[in-house]
Amino acid sequence: MSKILRDQVARVEGHGGIEVEIDGGRVGEVKVHIFEGMRLFEDLLVGRSYEEVTPIVSRICAICSAGHTTTSLLAIEKAFGVEVTPQTKLLRELLFLGQMVESHALHVFALAFPDYLGFSGIIPLAQAQPEMASLGLRVKKLGNTIQTLTGGRAIHPVNAAVGGFGKLPSVEELKELRRELEDILAEMRLAGEFLQKSLTSQEHKHTPEDPGRLYAALVPEGEGFGFFGGTIALSNGDRIPVDEYRKLCQEEKVPHSNAKHSRYHGKSFMVGSLARLNLFGERLKGYEILQGFLDLFPSTDPMANNLAQGVELFYSLIRVEEIVAGLIRDGIRPEKPVAFKPKAGTGTAATEVPRGTLYHSYTFDADGVITRADVVTPTAQNLADMEESVRATCQYLLGKMPEDQILHRLEMVVRAYDPCISCSVHLINKK
Amino acid sequence: MSKPRVGIYGLTSCAGDQLVLLNCEDEILQIVQAVELRSFVMADSQHEEKELDIAFVEGSVAQAHDLEMLQDIRQRSRFLIAIGTCAVWGGIPGVMGRKAAFPPASLSQHVQVDWTIPGCPIEKAELLRAVTSLLHGDLPWNNPTPVCTQCRIKENPCLLQEGKFCAGPLTRGGCDARCPSHGRGCIGCRGPVPEANVVQEFKLLLEHGFSVEELTRRLETFARLSKAGELLQELQSGKERKHVKNIA
Repeated sequence: MSKILRDQVARVEGHGGIEVEIDGGRVGEVKVHIFEGMRLFEDLLVGRSYEEVTPIVSRICAICSAGHTTTSLLAIEKAFGVEVTPQTKLLRELLFLGQMVESHALHVFALAFPDYLGFSGIIPLAQAQPEMASLGLRVKKLGNTIQTLTGGRAIHPVNAAVGGFGKLPSVEELKELRRELEDILAEMRLAGEFLQKSLTSQEHKHTPEDPGRLYAALVPEGEGFGFFGGTIALSNGDRIPVDEYRKLCQEEKVPHSNAKHSRYHGKSFMVGSLARLNLFGERLKGYEILQGFLDLFPSTDPMANNLAQGVELFYSLIRVEEIVAGLIRDGIRPEKPVAFKPKAGTGTAATEVPRGTLYHSYTFDADGVITRADVVTPTAQNLADMEESVRATCQYLLGKMPEDQILHRLEMVVRAYDPCISCSVHLINKK
Repeated sequence: MSKPRVGIYGLTSCAGDQLVLLNCEDEILQIVQAVELRSFVMADSQHEEKELDIAFVEGSVAQAHDLEMLQDIRQRSRFLIAIGTCAVWGGIPGVMGRKAAFPPASLSQHVQVDWTIPGCPIEKAELLRAVTSLLHGDLPWNNPTPVCTQCRIKENPCLLQEGKFCAGPLTRGGCDARCPSHGRGCIGCRGPVPEANVVQEFKLLLEHGFSVEELTRRLETFARLSKAGELLQELQSGKERKHVKNIA
């Protein structure tokens, strides 16, 4: 019996490794190790006032901080019965899309793309293909500009509060953003074909299609695509209200991971861009720029998640343009956060953050003090599925290439999930 | 002149401080050309774990694996810089894990730290200034004033005077008073400022009806601000200000 082992998967957020046992040409046990230390977040929240919650949960993860911020605000508002204004909803969506743009640009251009072009990272890529690297960095920067304008900072936003925003962007600032956005969109359109060709090259397809794989995503509100919703859809046709998210995320502890694994009736499932496009990609049919991309979905190749992120990057930029144009047209109303009173109860909310569905659920007493908190992150949901994909890919490639090359492919598969390991280990209760 | 050999590492953290470096989209390609980047695993799969002139380390020491990694980095680095509040003060994990079997700690609780850049996350401008100083063989500069100094310059209304919780007087400035400028009280994410007047902060907020218990809890979210003086004495007892020579 032999072992394929990678101590540290590079170009992911946090510390994880891969271990596969090979026994007589068959793949034995597969482990995606999670070494990151425990983060103990939920316990810290108990006994704290609702005001303190959002800045703390934001720190679960830097790349997803706008997602944790928004989701926690939605959960708190649900518990207290707070209705925010349409303008607040749009500005929150803008903050959220800024994160989507930054995170997807970082992963597609800087973390995943170098594999397709044969580089070890964005820095060597920048020396060989300066135009592509520079575009990636500028798209990423635009995402940060959007987050800074709405959230007050690119990482761990400070401006989004329960009921609204502390400080509102001005129409002049939005006009400046629109100018930057138009330039980037024009360049992205030119790069679209190259991106699509590179990310779909058959050379990097090494996980056989498997109709038995399971995908989960929120049903987007309204008729269009989007990242907010109140019902979870599964690719087997099941529907689950967000309040009952624990029916989907049946967690178990595993000895080789500091993060728990999620299964649905014993079966692993994937969340994230690929799941969203597999389930709701047809809602993007109206966007001309995405036509060539959409034909490739549904797919059960985890590497297709990179392409799916590329599609969502385009969608997010276009949606930002729509929202910004609307706000410029209608003007910014000088609104303060809506007034409310805390009350006893539970609020659960979910959003589609870059890596998949994120759940926040809190219970408050009558003074607005937390008595129970639960956060389920996309990467924690994906870990079991990641192991399934590593197994399928390894079995398919065994005998076709030397083990060190297989290992590189396995690393690419893990990277395709865009794992956010900090997020996955936020819990205390591992025994 | 040879380029300084640099490594960038994360222990248990949210990766936000490494992300701040990646968020220097306009500067990062220039920075990596000015140094010999030996390790930055979050961004590049090729890395050499050998001698370093400067190591930037993010995160708290929250498990044996972190400690091994930190000790290894320390023994092969001439100059070790703690980046971000987790590395400098222990951060949120340090506060909540006090009763854990392996209590999460700041870097200086385990090894000698030569310089600190606090913040949750660190400020891009402070990082770039520190990198520039180091490239010129100079010591970086840390803002010695509280958050209030920049807040006053910006002419923000004082939230403390309005009776709202604000940790600005106790917290090290350099963030452009970001939270108060957005109408939100400072939450102390950058750790204590030298000569913080903890007693006066408590007195003022107690008059506004806060309880000692609530104030202590809120002032201890990122670092133990209610023990600001004690904490700074520990950090400054020869650990922070080792003289830098010939970094570049």
